[in-house]
Amino acid sequence: MSRISAPSTTGLSRRSFMTATVSAAAAAPLLSSPTRAEKPAATRSGLRETVAVSLRINKQPYELSLDARTSLLDALRDHVGLTGTKKGCDHGQCGACTVLVDGKRVLSCLSFAVMNDGKEVTTVEGLASSDGKLHPMQQAFIDHDAFQCGYCTPGQIMSAIGCVNEGHANSEDDIREYMSGNICRCAAYPNIVAAVVQARDQARGT
Amino acid sequence: MRPFIYERPTDVSAAVAIASRFTTEDDHPTRANAQFIAGGTNLADYMKLGVAAPNRLLDLNRLEEPALRQIRVTDDGVRFGALVRMGEAADHGEVKRRYPVIADSLRLAASGQIRNMASLAGNMLQRTRCEYFREPSWACNKRVPGSGCAAMEGFNRQHAVLGASDACIATYHGDFAQALIALDAVIRAEGSRGAREIPFARLHRLPRDTPHIETDLAADEIITAIEVPALPWARRSRYLKIRDRESYAFALASAAVALDLDGDSVREARIALGGLATVPWRAGEAEAALQGKKLDEASAGAAADAAFAGAEPRQHNAFKVELGKRTLVRALLETRDMKV
Amino acid sequence: MDPAAPKPKENMGEPLPRVDARLKVTGQAAYPADLPTANLAYGALATSSIAKGRVTKLHLDDARSVPGLLDIVTYGDMDKVEKPKFGNAGATSIGPLHDRTIFHDGQIIALAVAETFEAAEEAAQLIRADYEEEKPSASFDSPGTKTIPAAGKSPLFKEDVKAGDFDAAYAAAAVRIDARYSTPTQHHNPIELFSTTAFWQGDQLIVHEPSQNVTGWKAELARELKIDPPNVRIVSPFIGGAFGSKGPMTPRTAIVAVAAKRLGRPVRCVTSRMQAFGTQTYRAETRHRIRIGAGKDGRITAFAHEGWEVTSRPDPYVVGGTSATGRMYDYGSVLTHVSLVQADRNTPGYMRSPPETPYVYALENAMDEMAVALGMDPVEFRRINEPKAEPIGKKPFSSRSLIQCYEQAANAFGWAKRDPKVGAMRDGDWLIGMGCATAIYPTAVAPCAARVRLTSDGDVRVQCGSHEIGTGVRTVAAQMASERLGVPIDKVTVEMGDSSLPPAPVSGGSISTASVCSAVLKACDAIRAKLSAGATAEGGPLAGSHNEELDLDGGKIAARGGASAKIEDVFKAMQIGAIEEYAEFAPKGATPEAVKKLYAGQSEFHGGDQDEDSVKYAFGAEFVEVRINSYTREIRVPRIVGAFAAGRIMNTRTARSQLMGGMIWGIGQALHEATEVDRRYARYVNRDLQDYLVPVNADTRDLQVILVPEVDHAVNPAGVKGLGELGNVGTAAAVASAVYHATGKRIRDLPIRIDQLIA
Repeated sequence: MSRISAPSTTGLSRRSFMTATVSAAAAAPLLSSPTRAEKPAATRSGLRETVAVSLRINKQPYELSLDARTSLLDALRDHVGLTGTKKGCDHGQCGACTVLVDGKRVLSCLSFAVMNDGKEVTTVEGLASSDGKLHPMQQAFIDHDAFQCGYCTPGQIMSAIGCVNEGHANSEDDIREYMSGNICRCAAYPNIVAAVVQARDQARGT
Repeated sequence: MRPFIYERPTDVSAAVAIASRFTTEDDHPTRANAQFIAGGTNLADYMKLGVAAPNRLLDLNRLEEPALRQIRVTDDGVRFGALVRMGEAADHGEVKRRYPVIADSLRLAASGQIRNMASLAGNMLQRTRCEYFREPSWACNKRVPGSGCAAMEGFNRQHAVLGASDACIATYHGDFAQALIALDAVIRAEGSRGAREIPFARLHRLPRDTPHIETDLAADEIITAIEVPALPWARRSRYLKIRDRESYAFALASAAVALDLDGDSVREARIALGGLATVPWRAGEAEAALQGKKLDEASAGAAADAAFAGAEPRQHNAFKVELGKRTLVRALLETRDMKV
Repeated sequence: MDPAAPKPKENMGEPLPRVDARLKVTGQAAYPADLPTANLAYGALATSSIAKGRVTKLHLDDARSVPGLLDIVTYGDMDKVEKPKFGNAGATSIGPLHDRTIFHDGQIIALAVAETFEAAEEAAQLIRADYEEEKPSASFDSPGTKTIPAAGKSPLFKEDVKAGDFDAAYAAAAVRIDARYSTPTQHHNPIELFSTTAFWQGDQLIVHEPSQNVTGWKAELARELKIDPPNVRIVSPFIGGAFGSKGPMTPRTAIVAVAAKRLGRPVRCVTSRMQAFGTQTYRAETRHRIRIGAGKDGRITAFAHEGWEVTSRPDPYVVGGTSATGRMYDYGSVLTHVSLVQADRNTPGYMRSPPETPYVYALENAMDEMAVALGMDPVEFRRINEPKAEPIGKKPFSSRSLIQCYEQAANAFGWAKRDPKVGAMRDGDWLIGMGCATAIYPTAVAPCAARVRLTSDGDVRVQCGSHEIGTGVRTVAAQMASERLGVPIDKVTVEMGDSSLPPAPVSGGSISTASVCSAVLKACDAIRAKLSAGATAEGGPLAGSHNEELDLDGGKIAARGGASAKIEDVFKAMQIGAIEEYAEFAPKGATPEAVKKLYAGQSEFHGGDQDEDSVKYAFGAEFVEVRINSYTREIRVPRIVGAFAAGRIMNTRTARSQLMGGMIWGIGQALHEATEVDRRYARYVNRDLQDYLVPVNADTRDLQVILVPEVDHAVNPAGVKGLGELGNVGTAAAVASAVYHATGKRIRDLPIRIDQLIA
C-alpha cells in the first residue's frame, strides 16, 4: 500500500490524535468535555444543562457530557474525535452518517446522542482488527473500487454490513434496493453491489 | 434548534403524566411544549429545521411495557406494538403472508436505516414533506396558522390533488397509513383521559381551515398499538408506489388495494391512495364503484374516475390526476392477479 | 474477470487499486472538516429569505442571548476586506457582507460563532432581517431580466463560431428540423458538505476547506484579506466530491477567516445542505434552438445552434457550448449564437462538463430527430457526417475515435436487435426503448509543477498541489512515478491538496491527469538522467555504458547489453542519499508567462479548440435501454453501454469508475435532477436531497464501460485525454432518444419525467 500524507497543520497530527483517542479508552477522550464525577439523574436534564451520556463505541467505553441537542453524529465527530462517520446532509437523506447501534444500521444524524445512552455503537473505525486486517466488507470495497471520492464510503460500508446482517443481500436486486439509502454522488453503485456480493459470500463461506 | 429538556419515562403512564403536566387541553401534539420522540426520524429533522420546537422531549424508547415492541399475529388479526420498528414489521413472515399490503408499504418506504429507526406509530404520524412547510421563511398555515400558503401558487408538483383546502395543499407522504386504512385498522391510545380506540381512518384530520391540527390525538396521548383485523380481503392486498426514482423517494402516487373476490367479481374492495391527498385517503367512491362488478380494465378505470371525480389540480401537479387514476387501475389489476 | 478492473489494452496502464483506498475504507482519510483542530469555535450562517432588495435592519438580540455565542460577523465587519472577484478562482463578485444589497435568495447576511455547533445553529436561526423588498426576476421569461450577447463577456467564450452560409444552405436543404430544447437548474450536491475551517498562527492564515484549486484560492483569499499570498495556506487533503462546486472560492471563506481573526481562535463553518443552494454555485438553466438542414442522403449541409443561459446580475458567467457542438460533425455550414440572461440569482459556476452537458444534450437530441426525419439509423447518420477536419477552422482532430466507439458500444449493446419502429418493443406492461448519442469533451492541459524525490533505498515521494476529488489523480501520479523510476507503487508516497506544495492547476476541465502526469513525468525523467549519469560516470557501477540506453526497473538500472546495477549502489557511487527534482511543466504553445501565472493561481489552459495545429477532443458513444410502464409511465434505465476513447489510459480501474459515474450522472440529468425555482420570488424550493433527486443504487442495473484503445501524442507528453467529464455528456440525449423510441414522444425539456409522458 502506498502511503499518503498531508503535512500536519496543527500541533496535533492526525496519527497522534487517533492514538490518543483510542488509548484513552476508559478516560475522557481528547475532545470530549470533561467527564462528570457523579452520574446525574439519567432521565432528566434541565433546559441548557448538559446531559451525561454513556456509550460503548467500538468496544471502548465513553462517558460524555453533552448538550441534549447533540446528534449521535456530532457526538462521534466533535466530542469523541471519530471523524470517519460523515455528515452529508444532517437530515436523514443521504446515509453518509450510517453507524451500527446495537448491531443495527441507523442514521446517526437523526438520533440525539442522549437517546443512545448505554448503547453499543460501531463506526467505520471499529471494523478492522487490531492487527490492521480489514473487515471483509472494507476489503471488498477496495477490490471492486466501490468508491471514488470516498466521502460516503464509511456510511456505505456500515450500511452494507447492516444489510448483509439483516439478510437483505440475497440477490443483486435486493442489494440495490436495500443499499439505496446511501447516496454515492460519484455513483460507484455497480461496484458497491459487487463489493457487497463478495463480502456476503465470504461471510457465508461460499 | 431550540434547547429542550430531555426526559426518559419508563412506562406509558409516567410518560402520559409528564406530558399532561406540560401541555394543556388545547395543545395539539405537533405544537405542544412537551412532545414524544421514538425513532426521531421525523421530529429530529423538523427540530433541526426550526419547524418543530418542543422545549421538553419525552423519549419513549425506554418504556418498559413489552407489548409496545411486539408483533402478535392470531387468526383474528395482527397487533403491532407502537414501538415496533418499520423494518421489523416489513420483514415479519406472517405479516408478509397474511397482510402483504402492510409489508409492501413498509418495505417501499424510506431506507433500510430509517426503517430500523422509525417506530410504526411515529411513521403513521409523520408530518408532510411540503418544501414550503420545511423552510420556515415561507408562508405556511400549517407551520404558522394564518400566515398563508406559499405552495398554493408556488412550485406544487408534489402537492395534493385530493382533500386540499384554501389553507393547505400539503401532501401526506407516508405509505404505511394507506395500508392501514385499506385494512380497517384501529389504533389504541392512552392519555390523561384514559385509554381509547380510534379507527385509523379517523386519526388524521383534513386541513380545512386548521391545517396545523393534523390528527385527532391530544398532546398527552400516546399510541400504544395498531390492530388490524383478519378480514377476508387482507391476503389479496398490495401496495403500488410510483416515484421519480426506483427507491428512497416519496410517492408521486400510490395505491393500497385489498380485494375479496368471488371468481372474477368483487365482493368487497378496499382502496386507499397515497401521495395524492392531504391525509391518508380512503377512496370510498372507487370501492363502491367496484362492488359486485367484474374486475377488468374497464371497471377499474371507472373506479379510478370515481376516485378522482373531486380532484383539484393546481399548476404543477395536474399530471397527478391522470397518474393517480392509472396507479389505481394498475394496482387493482395487479391485486386481482395475485396468487393467494 | 472483475469488471471494476478492466484488463489493459493497447496504451493502457494497470488497474491498480487506489493508493488511498485503505484510508478511505477505514475512515482515516481526513477531509477538511475532519482535520483535528484544537480550541475550535463553530460558525453557522444566516441567509436572506428574499432575492432582491436591501437589508434595512438586522435583529441580533435573540441570537446574542444564546449561551455560548461568541461573535456575530455581519455588515460593517468586512469593510477592511476587499470584495470578492468573479473569475478564475472566485465564484462571484457579490460581497454579501460588504453592502446591504441582496442580489439573490439565500445570500449570507451574518455568521454566528459559538462554543458549540448547537449554539451556533440556534443563534443563526434566531437572526432576523427586515428588508426593503423589490420584485425579483427569476429566470427566462421573467419581467425585468436582461438579455445580452455572451461573446466577449468572458475570457472563456470569445466568439460565436460560424462557417459558410448557413441561411442559404438551410433554405436549400431537402430535410429540415427546427426545434427548441431546455435544461434545468442543477446543483452539484457533492455528499461532503461545504465547509471552511480557518485559524491564524501569527500572520499566517491556515484554511481547511475542500478545494479544487488550492493555489488559486491562496491568491484570491490573500487579495481579499490584503495579506501576502505566502501567508495563506489552503489545506484540502481529501475532497468529498466536487464536480466543479469546489473550483471557485465563495465569499464564505474570507468571512470565516475574519471571524477567526476577531476571536483569535479557529472557527469552523459547515454550510448546511440547504444553504449550499444559495451560497455555492450551480449549473444554470439553458435554452436552445437548433436548426439542421440535410440532404436526403443524410449529409448535413446546415447547422445552427442558438443558446440562452441564465446568470446573475453582476457576473457574466457563460459556458457557451457551441464551441464544441459547432465542431462535432461535418456540417457544411455553421451558425451559432449564445446569449446571457441576467436575473436576480446567485452566480452560476462550473458543473461537470459545464458547456457540453446542456449543449450536446440539445445537439444530440436534434441529431436523433433528424435521423428520424430522414428515416435513417441514428448510428449510420452520425457515420455519414463524420468529419475529416472540424468545420470551423478546418483544423484536423489530433485523434478522433468516435466511429470505433460507436461500433464497439453498438456491438456490446446489441443495437442490431433493435426494432427501429416506434413502440414496437415491449416486455409485458413495460415499453422498451433504445437510443444512443455521442459524448465529446475537449482535451486540455495546463502548466503544472511537481517535486519528486527518490532515496537510495528506493522510496519515492511525489509532491504536487493538485486535488484528489475522487478521480484517482493521486493513484495515477504514483503510477507514473512508479513506472518511470522503476520502483513498486507501494514505495511511492503522494502528497496533494495543500497550497504549500508545488502548484498545480485547478482540478477542472478534466486536465488533472494530463497536467499532473506530465509534470511528474518531467521530474522523474530528470531524476533518471542524474541516476544514469551517476551510474555511467567513471567509477560508477555501469561505467562505460551509454546514458540514453539505460532503463530503470525493479529497483535496478540496466544497460541494454544486460549489465545492471542496484539503485542503491548508484547512490553509493554518487555519494548521495537522495535525488530530488522540481519540474515545471508547460504545455506546447504556452505563453511565456504561463508558469509564472501558475504560481499566482491562474491556470492557462491549452488544447481543445485553442491550438494552432489541431483540435483536441475525447469522444464516446452511449447506448441506453429505457423501460416505461405502460400504465404509470415511470421511466427506468436498466441497461447502458458506453464506449470511450481518451488517449493513454493511466489506470483502467479508475478510468472506468469515472466514466461509469459520469454515465450514471447522465441518467440523473435525464430523469431526476432539477432545482426548482419559485418564479414569484426567485427562490429555490427543493433545497435538499429529499427533493433534489439524484440517482440511488437501485436506479442502475446493467452498466458497461468499454475503453477503446487510442494513441495521441499531440495532446500532451503523457498522451492522456481527460475523461472525468466525458461520461455524462450525451447520456441524457441517448435517454431522450430511447424514450422517443418507446413512446413516440419527443421530450425536449429535461428532466424527462412522468409529467410529460402521462398526458
